[in-house]
Amino acid sequence: MTYASHLTIAAFAFSTSLAASACAADPIKVGVTVTQSPPGSVVQGTQVKDGLEVVAKMLNDQGGVLGRPIELVIEDTQGLPEKARAAVEKLITRDKVVGIVGEHQSSNVLAGMEVAHRYHIPYINTNGWADAIREKGYPEVFNPNNYNRRVAMAAAESIKKLGAKKVVAFAENTDYGIGLAKGIGEQLKTVAPEISYRFDTLDRAAKDYLPAILPLRADPPDVVVDVMLPPAAYIMMNQVYEQGVAPSAKTWFYDASGLADYPDFWQNIKEAGKDLLVFGLYHPKMKAPELAKTVGDAYTKKTGAQPNRLLYQAADSLLVLTDAIKRANSTEPDALVKALEATKYTGTRGEITFSNESGYKFHQWLDIPYVTFQVTEIGQKVADSPLVEQPGQPLDPSKLAHP
Amino acid sequence: MLSGALAADLAVNGLVTGLFYGLMAIGLALIFGVLRIVNFAHGEFYMVGAYAYTIIAARLGVPLFVALPSAFLFGAALGWVVERTLMRPLYANIGSWGLMRDEYAVIVTFGLSLLLVNLVDKAIGPYAFRAPALVSASRVVVGPALMSGQKVAAAVVTLAALALIALFLRFSYWGRAVRAVSQNRLGASLAGIDATAVSSLVFALAGGLAALAGALLSPIINASPDVGAFPAIKSYVIVVLGGMGSIPGAFVASLLLGLVESFGAVLVSYQYRDTFGLVLLILFLLFRPQGLFGERGREV
Repeated sequence: MTYASHLTIAAFAFSTSLAASACAADPIKVGVTVTQSPPGSVVQGTQVKDGLEVVAKMLNDQGGVLGRPIELVIEDTQGLPEKARAAVEKLITRDKVVGIVGEHQSSNVLAGMEVAHRYHIPYINTNGWADAIREKGYPEVFNPNNYNRRVAMAAAESIKKLGAKKVVAFAENTDYGIGLAKGIGEQLKTVAPEISYRFDTLDRAAKDYLPAILPLRADPPDVVVDVMLPPAAYIMMNQVYEQGVAPSAKTWFYDASGLADYPDFWQNIKEAGKDLLVFGLYHPKMKAPELAKTVGDAYTKKTGAQPNRLLYQAADSLLVLTDAIKRANSTEPDALVKALEATKYTGTRGEITFSNESGYKFHQWLDIPYVTFQVTEIGQKVADSPLVEQPGQPLDPSKLAHP
Repeated sequence: MLSGALAADLAVNGLVTGLFYGLMAIGLALIFGVLRIVNFAHGEFYMVGAYAYTIIAARLGVPLFVALPSAFLFGAALGWVVERTLMRPLYANIGSWGLMRDEYAVIVTFGLSLLLVNLVDKAIGPYAFRAPALVSASRVVVGPALMSGQKVAAAVVTLAALALIALFLRFSYWGRAVRAVSQNRLGASLAGIDATAVSSLVFALAGGLAALAGALLSPIINASPDVGAFPAIKSYVIVVLGGMGSIPGAFVASLLLGLVESFGAVLVSYQYRDTFGLVLLILFLLFRPQGLFGERGREV
């Protein structure tokens, strides 16, 4: 062989090894759909996005998954189902993502998961609570997050323990709002059929809810339930308080949407927030796995904000997906779906497994931990609020602060 | 059936809501009356006013009685700039007002609306901000109704602003000029009225009024980039109901819409609250297309 031939072979071998190493380091692309601009909830979208970025960095700092870094490809849905659908289509067909995570609005999950189902790509629902998401029975969709039936059960139990006879809920006109409000009604029929319950659907884009609230002044219920999200929920809560309906000596205000840990809660709510009973999926006084502290610290370091439920839901969404990739040793959809079905992973909130029962339990982590806390001071941080109910500690109305 | 107390409560709240609609709609009616265009960015002046007041009062710590007129002036300045830069080319050097290309106004104002919403979204952020209230009392008794102190204060300021506008249009030189141009632009010009200056004045006034409405309501509805969409839609309905370009018509139609929405939400259903205005609009277009105070047609 001539010197030139040796050189050619060496150059070929070098370039091949370079290509191979580049291939090995190719990122695993994970699609993310979140709200980053109105009219959807940007607060939620930002918390989810930050949570996912924190976990992706942690994974990459530890060498990635299967030796490859995790790359998040983020799309803004504006909280609009049609944009969510288009975003998932783009992420799957153009960006070639191996799975979708991050969606935090039920309407958007219902739109986006249709596309994921069509392409048979794993879809991890981060915060879509609508039972209809599970009831579709799509094999690609997994739910390591809360579900309406769970909140409905919790709310019904709490309302019963409060000794209520008449309950009115204000629900936003979305799949989430209407679904949860109906669910609370169904659960109340089961656990406390003697309670009179109705819900009013309010337009999320409206600014004046007084005509729906005014009739309650003459005949106030025992409990008003919030099934709305910001910013509309803030306006409704202020107007309910302004009319003297709730919180009041007669009427409890039960927040089924868990708004008190939103970063802009106290900026928009003043007196209306005092004595509020809040359903929560996270409270700093809750018991949690060690991983929660690691993720929470990294989140605080990145954003300067305290940990919140959406951070942990986002973290677990990405972690169950990457856990499935590791166990499947593959990013192929069939292998991933199979691995996800066999999930038994201790995330930031507990050991996550997915049920295979049909209906609202399908591919759902059934034992999502939840709490109820009461806001007892204006401007109070969630960490300082008393935890009035948690796993193993039922709600005791005699220990609640009364307006 | 409604109880007397609830009916009175609904009436008071409906009239107060109508006043706020009026502050927005009168600016739109003025613009249509003088320039014969529909300003699709009117809701964004409202949004700009809400943000201006919130930022000036809450972030810069300026006293509220200074922040409120500042928001009006900010809206007025924006209106004046918009007219000078975006509207003026539409009719400059065109002798007859009838030759104006209406479609350009639609496109320009619609584009301005999108621009302002997205500018605020990116520059300030999409979060809703609650502005400081003029009156801190959470609940004030107003006859049969309960209202926040801010709402009562906003209603009082709105009434005062509407009265000032009425006096201005009725008695001042520039008010009479506005009415003259709205009746006949060419005729007013021949009589020595500076129709171009009147156009600037009207746009500034409309911008200021919409911004004032946004500022007054920002402690109640929270400033956000899309906050102007709903009031703008209501304003378009009101201007048609009142008679295109009619100021008294816009005022009466505002109160009418406020009352219809308030009572309809309880008597029919809250779900259809925002459709009542549209039903009224269709009925008026079918049976009284000139509106409450409008003219059936005008030829010169």
